[in-house]
Amino acid sequence: MTAITARSTAMRAQTWWRPLSDGAVVITIIYLLLFAIYAMNEPSALSIFSITSLINNSTPLALAAAGATLVIVCRGFDLSVAGVVSVTNVVMAVQPLEGPWGALGSLFACLAIGGFIGLINGYLVAYLRLQSIASTLGVMIVCQGVALVILDAPGGWVAEWVSYELTDVLFGVLPVSGLILLGVVGLWLIFLRSDLAVAIYAIGADETSAALSGIVTRRVRLLAYVGAGLLYACAGYMLSAQTATGNPTAGTPFIILTFAAVAIGGTSFSGGSGGVIGSIIGAATLMLLQKVLFSTGVSSFYTGLFQGVILILAILFRGAVVALAARRSAA
Amino acid sequence: MEGVEVIAKPLRIDSDQHRRAPLDGETMAAFAIFALCIILIVGARFISPALGGWDHVETTLVLASFLIVVAFGQGLVILVGGLDLSVASMITLGGVLSTTLVGSYDAGAWALPAVIVFCGLLGALNGVGAGYLNIPPFIMTMAMGVIVYSGCLGYTKGSPRGSSPELFVYLMKAQWLGVPVAIVFIALFALGGWSVQRRTAFGRRLYAVGSNRAAAFIAGVRVRRITMSAYIVSAVCAGFTGMMLVGYANGATLRMGDSYLLPSIAAVVVGGSSILGGRGSFIGTVGGAILLTTLSTIILALGVPQGWRTVIEGMIVLVALLMLREQLYQAVSRIFSRP
Repeated sequence: MTAITARSTAMRAQTWWRPLSDGAVVITIIYLLLFAIYAMNEPSALSIFSITSLINNSTPLALAAAGATLVIVCRGFDLSVAGVVSVTNVVMAVQPLEGPWGALGSLFACLAIGGFIGLINGYLVAYLRLQSIASTLGVMIVCQGVALVILDAPGGWVAEWVSYELTDVLFGVLPVSGLILLGVVGLWLIFLRSDLAVAIYAIGADETSAALSGIVTRRVRLLAYVGAGLLYACAGYMLSAQTATGNPTAGTPFIILTFAAVAIGGTSFSGGSGGVIGSIIGAATLMLLQKVLFSTGVSSFYTGLFQGVILILAILFRGAVVALAARRSAA
Repeated sequence: MEGVEVIAKPLRIDSDQHRRAPLDGETMAAFAIFALCIILIVGARFISPALGGWDHVETTLVLASFLIVVAFGQGLVILVGGLDLSVASMITLGGVLSTTLVGSYDAGAWALPAVIVFCGLLGALNGVGAGYLNIPPFIMTMAMGVIVYSGCLGYTKGSPRGSSPELFVYLMKAQWLGVPVAIVFIALFALGGWSVQRRTAFGRRLYAVGSNRAAAFIAGVRVRRITMSAYIVSAVCAGFTGMMLVGYANGATLRMGDSYLLPSIAAVVVGGSSILGGRGSFIGTVGGAILLTTLSTIILALGVPQGWRTVIEGMIVLVALLMLREQLYQAVSRIFSRP
């Protein structure tokens, strides 16, 4: 008990730099190592084209993982990511709006969908106190059904402006999707300065203490789910830009990949630690891993096997680090 | 901190009162579910003249048998406070391995037990992760599901071959005196499952671990081992379901397990078990499985498109969770226990 108290006080004192510390640094080193292997196997890896396609591939998952992080930091789980990505993807494919204003219009439509689904999740979990895995699972199934109702088979076309401009390279060196990710990281760093961010970490670390120190836990939790829903919607938007077509089951692979990205990005599933930056790099690492496996000649049948093993290893590694830190602070 | 203690005390007394007659309330709720199934089947006559007869009951029970077997394992895992998301892949594994072994190697009697043992070993891995290494159960089982599925994909190179084991074709297709063998089997399975859960020390320990880990540990229950055994049973049941499915459908597909993952959880929740563990009976789960299957046969007859069917499935999960929260089952038991 004393070890736990000591650890959580230490954590609270370090709130500001913690998101950039341990987890995120570890995963960045792993990413660079993997990239080195990739570049050795695939000499074209360092070309602007190859880097842009890598970033384009990673962006949807990175945005989804950023959203999931918000919920996981305040000790919740959210499986609705698959539902939101599928619904926004089919909406983009069934109702393409041309031109930059059309793109902005569809972005707002997607955000409205994601925010609404997040609101339902948050209400079920925070206000009705339903168990988060089961209730977001229910919401996810409903959303998948809605996606099938909107578009019953893969098809449709995403607006050309979205699928060309958002996957393009600015001035010959800057991938647009990379800029969007940097924007999210910037927003996250600003968000960390807000009371809401502190409240989310506080609830994840110890809900009772958070409530006793005057945080309205229900509202904060609700907002975390809404924020997650908005980011899933962005993920669906960027996925549509990348695939340029609609698929009612587009979101399904996102469930496992999102949790894997969050886990290897250094965010603990018991809440109160980690952050969005680690998750984004985690997502990028998973997508890079697929390319590395492909370039080293592993059959694509076994991609899932590697993803699953990495997810488990990441959590075990994380648990070992926490246990070590606890032992050190107790000593 | 004192405030919290004061609030917690009356709650504890409250839950003691629930405990006094858990069997009656749950059994009554299970009967209510069975009654609802009968009403639905009789009412289905109005939708289509082909429904509502003994044939409809037979079909429903045979189709429900898969869900009942997989939901037994899922129910045990939920009972100890976990969740098994790997059952879909385990079903596929059971189906794929049994057809491939029987079809291509002309294997002996050892083949089917070997497949079951293999599923059990993978379940044990789930149990080690969730019970001993403290990985969140749904992450551990989700990762295992992806690993096993990927293994099946690689093993079959994308297209499963082989033929169904004759034993399971007999189990799912044969009849005794006009009654399908599958229905006799599932009645015995339900009785067996219920007695394991209610009448054995193992079952009692599962309840103890699910309702209070710490108390169970102090009382001398080997919490981790019991947790692990629940995952083993779940994987074995799922693998067995896969074999039943290939017996019924004459061949394995890589996606055969997918349509059983969410219903297996839904059947347990609809049957009145707490998703948080420690509470529930297998009779309720059997009722939940039959109710879900009845609903899906009726919805199928209505000709509703796949999308709306999925929406309804999700709504059923949410409504079940909400009703559990409102303590519906206590309300039902109160109505029945009134003199």
